[in-house]
Amino acid sequence: MDDYDKTCLESALVGVCNIVQQEWGGAIPCQVVLVTDGCLGIGRGSLRHSLATHSQRSESNRFPLPFPFPSKLYIMCMANLEELQSTDSLDCLERLIDLNNGEGQIFTIDGPLCLKNVQSMFGKLIDLAYTPFHAVLKCGHLTADVQVFPRPEPFVVDEEIDPIPKVINTDLEIVGFIDIADISSPPVLSRHLVLPIALNKEGDEVGTGITDDNEDENSANQIAGKIPNFCVLLHGSLKVEGMVAIVQLGPEWHGMLYSQADSKKKSNLMMSLFEPGPEPLPWLGKMAQLGPISDAKENPYGEDDNKSPFPLQPKNKRSYAQNVTVWIKPSGLQTDVQKILRNARKLPEKTQTFYKELNRLRKAALAFGFLDLLKGVADMLERECTLLPDTAHPDAAFQLTHAAQQLKLASTGTSEYAGYDHNITPLQTDFSGSSAERM
Amino acid sequence: MKIFSESHKTVFVVDHCPYMAESCRQHVEFDMLVKNRTQGIIPLAPISKSLWTCSVESSMEYCRIMYDIFPFKKLVNFIVSDSGAHVLNSWTQEDQNLQELMAALAAVGPPNPRADPECCSILHGLVAAVETLCKITEYQHEARTLLMENAERVGNRGRIICITNAKSDSHVRMLEDCVQETIHEHNKLAANSDHLMQIQKCELVLIHTYPVGEDSLVSDRPKKELSPVLTSEVHSVRAGRHLATKLNILVQQHFDLASTTITNIPMKEEQHANTSANYDVELLHHKDAHVDFLKSGDNHLSGSSREGSFKETITLKWCTPRTNNIGRSVLLEQPRKSGSKVISHMLSSHGGEIFLHVLSSSRSILEDPPSISEGCGGRVTDYRITDFGEFMRENRLTPFLDPRYKIDGSLEIPLERAKDQLEKHTRYWPMIISQTTIFNMQAVVPLASVIVKESLTEEDVLNCQKTIYNLVDMERKNDPLPISTVGTRGKGPKRDEQYRIMWNELETLVRAHINNSEKHQRVLECLMACRSKPPEEEERKKRGRKREDKEDKSEKAVKDYEQEKSWQDSERLKGILERGKEELAEAEIIKDSPDSPEPPNKKPLVETDETPPVEKSKGPVSLLSLWSNRINTANSRKHQEFAGRLNSVNNRAELYQHLKEENGMETTENGKASRQ
Repeated sequence: MDDYDKTCLESALVGVCNIVQQEWGGAIPCQVVLVTDGCLGIGRGSLRHSLATHSQRSESNRFPLPFPFPSKLYIMCMANLEELQSTDSLDCLERLIDLNNGEGQIFTIDGPLCLKNVQSMFGKLIDLAYTPFHAVLKCGHLTADVQVFPRPEPFVVDEEIDPIPKVINTDLEIVGFIDIADISSPPVLSRHLVLPIALNKEGDEVGTGITDDNEDENSANQIAGKIPNFCVLLHGSLKVEGMVAIVQLGPEWHGMLYSQADSKKKSNLMMSLFEPGPEPLPWLGKMAQLGPISDAKENPYGEDDNKSPFPLQPKNKRSYAQNVTVWIKPSGLQTDVQKILRNARKLPEKTQTFYKELNRLRKAALAFGFLDLLKGVADMLERECTLLPDTAHPDAAFQLTHAAQQLKLASTGTSEYAGYDHNITPLQTDFSGSSAERM
Repeated sequence: MKIFSESHKTVFVVDHCPYMAESCRQHVEFDMLVKNRTQGIIPLAPISKSLWTCSVESSMEYCRIMYDIFPFKKLVNFIVSDSGAHVLNSWTQEDQNLQELMAALAAVGPPNPRADPECCSILHGLVAAVETLCKITEYQHEARTLLMENAERVGNRGRIICITNAKSDSHVRMLEDCVQETIHEHNKLAANSDHLMQIQKCELVLIHTYPVGEDSLVSDRPKKELSPVLTSEVHSVRAGRHLATKLNILVQQHFDLASTTITNIPMKEEQHANTSANYDVELLHHKDAHVDFLKSGDNHLSGSSREGSFKETITLKWCTPRTNNIGRSVLLEQPRKSGSKVISHMLSSHGGEIFLHVLSSSRSILEDPPSISEGCGGRVTDYRITDFGEFMRENRLTPFLDPRYKIDGSLEIPLERAKDQLEKHTRYWPMIISQTTIFNMQAVVPLASVIVKESLTEEDVLNCQKTIYNLVDMERKNDPLPISTVGTRGKGPKRDEQYRIMWNELETLVRAHINNSEKHQRVLECLMACRSKPPEEEERKKRGRKREDKEDKSEKAVKDYEQEKSWQDSERLKGILERGKEELAEAEIIKDSPDSPEPPNKKPLVETDETPPVEKSKGPVSLLSLWSNRINTANSRKHQEFAGRLNSVNNRAELYQHLKEENGMETTENGKASRQ
């Protein structure tokens, strides 16, 4: 971003907007810190002007707020409240926060403008927006203090009657383990690094164990590195076994812990958050219904670890996983008719398939009230019968005539012959016994 | 989309009056002649669908899309209207599938063109639709029950999609008025009923359909608020494929869907195996999958985007996976104007369901994170990685679909069982190899693997006892133990000290589980009876407290074991030193116990009423030290304290002063007291 010699907050915000979107897209939460002396600029390009013209924007010169990504706008004013209130500056800045859907806050200086007071203002911002998220990772009695980075954002479940933002627990409780192949690549809300931390008795962080070259041998970090930590054990085993740990984040909210390799040498313990709810991953079923394998009558993973209880099959198959008839496009109907014709020409070998396809078409035609189609296909089968070559099996003619007759009866729509659950069955002929049925 | 939005309940009202039997006047060629057919055959005349067929087909397609994407909580009630209303299904979840609807429609059949048109009306269906909207769904019922006194917060909204052939704009207005009037009446009824709910919001979508080529007698009208409860919109649509297209657009609007066309999908069939033949497939999905395109404005819409008049779809290219290691998934590439390739989505299949995933194609905020080996505990090199892997496999999850009940009749939550199991399995779980002896010993496995269980079988107990006798035997033969020498100077502890450490650790493990069941206690009793302890007075007292019958049992078991000892690892028998001497000492200890004087207090050593508190603090207190403290307190109440112990640390240092002198270290340093 170039700097200019004129206060033009809108351009600055547009610039921020573009940079963030180019770099991180529209899904990553971003905190935008605007440092200002509280002066809003003069004339065109001033914040007053921007706000005054806000309602007259078109799509091409849209005001950058609200930011098109999850955001918090923090406005740091190098001025105290009294100074700001003497003009309409504060009102204008508050408008900005409002325009960002209320996401953000304005900070002002307490007392006179001096280094100490500015530091204290930024200290407040740090406390509010940049405190690390500390949690305790638990697996039964095995525990580790961890920092979760970035800070997990509260999540509002849209489907709820009372949409209160859900916040993750500071106790991250492992409930069990699942093979990576079973959990596959699940959809996640966000991904976070899980860093083990060393806490002193007061609960203050004394280090992440990350060694700094400048530090001496006996630094707290060095010591922390040598104390066994559950995170490292968990990470190592998850990596070796190709598994993930399912972790409970709150009521009806789960996530997973896994090892993620950055390079051949570097790898990390990561945590992904699933969408809150009883069943975030349909192929695992309801989370509450997952239990220990020792409760099962026999090991669902097999004695040789050669099978898996996942994925769970949905109760009702999706339309694309079954043979659903759709004739909205003429090609759909033509394909189905062609299939019947193809099999009709291979009678009696294809008797079973012929009737299967015929019955499928019959059912759909009856449901759609498309009785003309049944008549049409009956006519077609009768014509096929007349076109049979001399070499054709005698059974072919019998079956075609029988099928055509049955379709004609169904096309009358009378309940006797047009029952939906009724199926046309092959005609029992003297030949049908001897002809081997092949599918 | 809120669960109880208008999309929770959709009522289809399809006109079944005589005029719906009319042809849509759009022909379908169904007799397609194949190339190599005999010449001179005239194909059969094309047929055309009736207005009814077009309406039913299009509404079934609407339902198919809805059910595929929302298998639950989005419900359809299908009503057919002629001389009366025929309600084809209910709001219950088991009625919500295409098969049910198709069968019901087949039973209704096409409209009878010879029926008396005066008797037939779409109004019957519309009235029934309002009635059905007042009926509570199982999801609404569930939510109301859950909210108790706040039950009124559960919404009741719905949508009526009415497909009919209207006579004029005023006819349409009459239909709207009728719906509004009916809502008013039924809301009054519902106010006084526990089973019905008042309609808070109803979206009426009137679709006037007419044969292709005719002029429409009804004009389109966008959504309009007729009352605070009712909005209405009118679509005038030609039948045939136009009607299907309209309903396809509507289902996308109603359920926040968007369309993606996947191109370049290679033909899988054999006849195309070696050709470059490929095809395209259009998918409908929740519009969130396009969120990045919509925000960035960088969309690749094929077709025009004139206000809803043409279908919008985003084109993504199929990237045939080179390797199969991502299972049943395929990556999708976004064609960009610049020619650069961006993988933006992934299609995957789980149990026959297809999912479209949005992949992040922008910069990660977790660039170059520190490796775990650089952090806390990163310098430790002897984690029990393999053992924890085994632990994870034992604690894998599996679905329990049928409800299970606890003894008290309450519902058992499988996930809570999983947590309980983790709690049990981790009561004593040293993280590093040098912190443990017993978990480095193959001989302990039969005990260690079963003692963590909630309940033991007789066979488990026997196996545990066998394990203990085996260890006794090893000690007698003076087998070396895999004691860590990390942090010790010289050769490490002597053999008898090694065994003491091993027995202490085993005791810690077993004690952690004695409250699971009486059988667990029996294992501890066996362990306490058999474990080697220096023949100090204090130890005698402890053993003396054992009930005689139990001693007998142990002795009998020892005999049993003697006969069976061939099962044990013969490798370990080799390299045994100073065998005879140790054997004598051990035998003396065991035989010694029954003759020991009775202790003043017959209270059993193990107290079941006093459970160790589950350690929640982060402090370095081990389970062992908890137990030691507890035992100390319990014992101190029972007898006059042994003089040596009064000055001891953790009841140990005093007994082994000679070791301290020899090794120049505190014995606890290598024992479990230092373990965390």
